[in-house]
Amino acid sequence: MADTASLVSILLDRILSIFVDEMINIPLINPIVERLMEIPFVNVIVAFILWKPIFHVLILPGLLGMTLALLFIIYFERKITARVQWRVGPKEVSRRTGGVIQALADGMRYLFQEVIVHRDANAFYFLQFPLISFLPVLLPLMFIPAGGTYGIKTIYTIPAALALISLIPVFIVAMGWASNSKFAYIGSVREAFMYFAYEIPFLLAVVAMIVLYQTPDPFEIVAKQWILGAVMNPIAFLAFFITVLIATSRLPFDIPEADQEVAFGPYVEYSGIIFGLVMMLPYEKLYLLSMLSVILFFGGWNGPEIAILGDLAPVIYLYIKTILFMCVVSLARSIYARYRLDQSLRLGWGVVLSLSMIALFISAGWAAWLRL
Amino acid sequence: MKTYTLDVPVTPPKEYESYFVPVPKEFLEDAYRSDDFVVFTGPQHGGSGHMRLIIRVKGDFIVEVIPDPGYVHRSMEKIAENRLYIQNIPLFERPSIIDFGNYNLGYVRAIEDALDIDVPERARYIRTILAELGRIGTHLYDAGILAVFLGHTTGFMWPFALREYIVEIFTRITGTRITGSFIVPGGVRRDVDAKTLDMIKRMLDALEFRIKKFERVFIKNPTTIARLHEVGVLTKEEAVKYGVVGPFLRASGVEYDVRKVEPYEAYEDIDWDMVIGEDGDGYTRFLVRVEEVGQSINMIRQLIEYLPEGEVLSSDIIAFNKNDIRGSFFEAYADMVLPEGEYTTLTEAARGTLLYSIISDGESTVPYRVRIVTPGWVYLKGFMEACKGHRLADLQAIYGSFGYFPPEADR
Repeated sequence: MADTASLVSILLDRILSIFVDEMINIPLINPIVERLMEIPFVNVIVAFILWKPIFHVLILPGLLGMTLALLFIIYFERKITARVQWRVGPKEVSRRTGGVIQALADGMRYLFQEVIVHRDANAFYFLQFPLISFLPVLLPLMFIPAGGTYGIKTIYTIPAALALISLIPVFIVAMGWASNSKFAYIGSVREAFMYFAYEIPFLLAVVAMIVLYQTPDPFEIVAKQWILGAVMNPIAFLAFFITVLIATSRLPFDIPEADQEVAFGPYVEYSGIIFGLVMMLPYEKLYLLSMLSVILFFGGWNGPEIAILGDLAPVIYLYIKTILFMCVVSLARSIYARYRLDQSLRLGWGVVLSLSMIALFISAGWAAWLRL
Repeated sequence: MKTYTLDVPVTPPKEYESYFVPVPKEFLEDAYRSDDFVVFTGPQHGGSGHMRLIIRVKGDFIVEVIPDPGYVHRSMEKIAENRLYIQNIPLFERPSIIDFGNYNLGYVRAIEDALDIDVPERARYIRTILAELGRIGTHLYDAGILAVFLGHTTGFMWPFALREYIVEIFTRITGTRITGSFIVPGGVRRDVDAKTLDMIKRMLDALEFRIKKFERVFIKNPTTIARLHEVGVLTKEEAVKYGVVGPFLRASGVEYDVRKVEPYEAYEDIDWDMVIGEDGDGYTRFLVRVEEVGQSINMIRQLIEYLPEGEVLSSDIIAFNKNDIRGSFFEAYADMVLPEGEYTTLTEAARGTLLYSIISDGESTVPYRVRIVTPGWVYLKGFMEACKGHRLADLQAIYGSFGYFPPEADR
């Protein structure tokens, strides 16, 4: 018995030492953390939560931060659209706060709705894809660092994150296939077309920025941005912005899920909480792409240091900038009508592709000039 | 493009038979065997309205659109045969309640034709004001529907908010927001006072100002133009051949407007232009209606300015209190009998030519038969033909550009 106990304590100490090495340092909560660290077992849990990779993926800017950002952006989008359209917007749920928890209330409602799996669907994949589509959403978060915190630290984080983000449309197409319905089929085909139209300009725009900074390492990219990337290469930013709109099905390019034409396309057969999950997918993608664009174009987590927040300050800067970028993107919904599929394909393969090529040349010029 | 036919045994789903759709089984089997795809849109679909559209697409291009209307059919003509003439007025504005002025006007004019009732000048003017207000309201409504079919939600909300001005004016004149039933044989129900007329003028100014804003956000929006320009083209010959009516006929360059050709009420007394388009595409059809809103605003301004003094009810109908019919309805209209014969009127409703034909047997207080041909039904064929050869996504754009309104078509 004594051996086992000592073995466990040695093991716990080992584990603890792994976590403690890379714990996030927040002076604000340090007294509490130090108190908790004195208690056995609890110290492992505390150290685990404050371990940088776990904190990054689960708390900020990871799962918790993303959930809050999505709830906020849905509320903000509805509210700002309502302002533009001479309406009030969500207000009835929690009147005193102006309806802030509307999105949460909708989510709760979805939770209590029946999930219908229709006869024609391939039930296994039909229910599976919405759940595993969280993989390409949460895994890129491991790779996109947030200054103070990071998941996996390599210099190839941006290419890795891009590769994972590019997987999301595959899941959407698969959902349409598993639904086995006509509108879902049309929507999936549209999604596939759009995917090819935006992916190449999108990658080229990111590559242009990598060429500009001459490194794919986000830490170096952010450190080098004493002039914002959007100012250094506005063409790349323009191409990136348009491809973000296409990639997240924002309104001028709301083609795969056009509700008046194909009734939400690939998601048409989903109901209940599963519908809630799949409807969050474009928003989650928007969150990831916004974070990426902040790192590439808007100085990432750069900002004045706040001593009391320690490592958390850069994370909060990145988070706030991300939300601001999402707010700007959500404005497009109240301004534009929807393009037709062929028109946006022409735009993607023509104008945006040319823009991203030009951006690449501009970046190459900057890089050559800065090296001299 | 080379097409490959798959020689596999196909059986269309059994639901096609139980839906009672107006397509033969062979059509579906043929479509299944070839490259084509049959899409059932509606009646529970965000972009179909109250009808089913059976669309056969080849790739992304529409080969054929087969409509399945009748989901909001109310058997209006049959119901009318069991009601007094005066009770039919609220019934016959039901096809398009937001455009009640024109729908009342057509029916009431047929009765007045039959009984040779002289309508006072002031009543004629008030009727014309109501008809034109209804036209503005309907055009704004259709603009909103067009916008939401294109995915432009701001373009959907703004015209509906603008229509509130029209609805507010209706409330002040008739007492209801829609379904006014205000026009009665021999005049209108009651007089309009100077305060209301002043309010109409101010509201029209406000409306005009906001329509300019709407023009910036939706009408001149590049995405709107991209979606509607050269989409759903009907040439002049096609438009005449398929019997398109109203603003949609004028958008194809045909100069036909009942208000000009056979003027009724006060349309002769005021100065206005017929709006004519050229291209006959979706965008022109939309612009013609936008221009008509401007024309209607001008017409109402003139009508208010030249509004003559006097009574609003004919002495043929009522002997006393000729400014308000309230309280005298029963004695004035209950025993109304039309002389034997058939009485037909043409009216230019907001969406096109509206025909009423009353057949009376000369002895009963109810019509023997009433025939009503609504513009919505008449231009359905033109709408179906305009869709051919365009992309699947264009279906809703063309639908919206026609302002198709199934309740109006089904009656």
